[in-house]
Amino acid sequence: MRTIRAIFIKQARDTLKNRMTLVQFIIFPVMSFIMTTLVAKPAEDTPDSIFVTMFAAMFAGMTPLMMTNSAIAEDKEHKSLRFLVMAGVKPSQYLLGIGGFVLLSCSFVAVVFGLIGEFSGLELVKFVFILILGSVASVVIGATVGIFSKNQQAATAIGTPVFMILAFLPMLSIFNDTIRDIANPLYTQQVRMIVNESDMSITTEPLLIILANIAVAFILFVLAYKKRGLKA
Amino acid sequence: MIKMSNVIKRFGEQTVLSDVSFEAKEKEIFGMLGPSGAGKTTIINILTNQLKADGGSHKIGVAPFETGLMLDEDGLYPRLNCLENLNVFAGIYGISHQKSLQALKSVGLEDAMKKAVNALSRGMRQRLALARAILHEPKVLFLDEPTSGLDPGTARGIHQLILRLRENGSTVFLTTHNMDEAVKLCDRIVLLHKGKIVEQGAPTEICERHNAIKTVPDLEAVFIEMTGVTLQ
Repeated sequence: MRTIRAIFIKQARDTLKNRMTLVQFIIFPVMSFIMTTLVAKPAEDTPDSIFVTMFAAMFAGMTPLMMTNSAIAEDKEHKSLRFLVMAGVKPSQYLLGIGGFVLLSCSFVAVVFGLIGEFSGLELVKFVFILILGSVASVVIGATVGIFSKNQQAATAIGTPVFMILAFLPMLSIFNDTIRDIANPLYTQQVRMIVNESDMSITTEPLLIILANIAVAFILFVLAYKKRGLKA
Repeated sequence: MIKMSNVIKRFGEQTVLSDVSFEAKEKEIFGMLGPSGAGKTTIINILTNQLKADGGSHKIGVAPFETGLMLDEDGLYPRLNCLENLNVFAGIYGISHQKSLQALKSVGLEDAMKKAVNALSRGMRQRLALARAILHEPKVLFLDEPTSGLDPGTARGIHQLILRLRENGSTVFLTTHNMDEAVKLCDRIVLLHKGKIVEQGAPTEICERHNAIKTVPDLEAVFIEMTGVTLQ
């Protein structure tokens, strides 16, 4: 437990000193706030929180993925991971430390999104819960990409197309039925659809799709780990 | 304490270590000397299980977390300050943060403890890497060219620290291509050339065997006699 805590604290300190990474946390809530308060709604029947839910779904698909992936890739590139492994840090402890911090940060941002969208009570709890669930899938996918990346450049090259699909398809699906059909099996689309519901009801089918996404991501992670390991 | 028997290592078609055997005893400074590309770092990587040998056997008489490691790539976290870098490992080893301060003092970096690593000079980074290696008072310390590229004053400070570590009971395994350093520090040495051990023993004994005692033991002369090349 102390090892996970040490990695968690390291990641927290490092993230706070890394402006490029901090921007990823701030940009989505800020954009949603600006759009919600300053931009006119597309139509009368659209909910007030349309931009909040749209950006929140994009956030859940992109930020945890890129954060996890770039943290692992940077530790590999600077050879820091080698020293952690030599100090007896197990891969699971390392990933829990990094992923734990990313998830906690994403939970905090999810609450900020909820406040911007003026959700309250059970609605806010459901909103935060579903964003955290989406972030779990993104963290696991980010760790998988991180395993395959030798350095940060490679992490960006591999991670960008992945997050583009996960983050932008749900947004585009608002405007096009074909894209919606393609995006439906993605957890980010289900996250967007749930948070867009007026009562934010979490039914079995979208929940199963999100859990299936997490399971598939986890299997991919295990396969990637078996193939490449956490080689520093 | 550290033993290698008939170790062979190949990278593709190239054999980088052939039939390497030696034994470093407890509480001694054991030097591995040779020019760049001789295989010194490969030996450290094999001993610390970062590389697998293609043949032979090796062992270290302590658990991996009882070893300290300083490599040419320092693996420090560039955005964190000196103290934070050490505290990551203090957390992993479960030792107090007071030890981090002590380690910084022992390498003369107490005044720079709040300085970010990316603002340090090469010499200071090397000292910080050494502080991290000795933080948990390891029983075995691997130092890969610890004074390479340092000014004479800093190098002298590191030499004194290495000697103190031996007095305190650590076994030090160091690689260098600096013959003076080897003579000053090492109880026993191995001369390595193109992946083969060409000579081993105490520095003065080796020099006596090859009539290379002038006013001071001249290991450089022995190396030239054995290999036909200089260390530079």
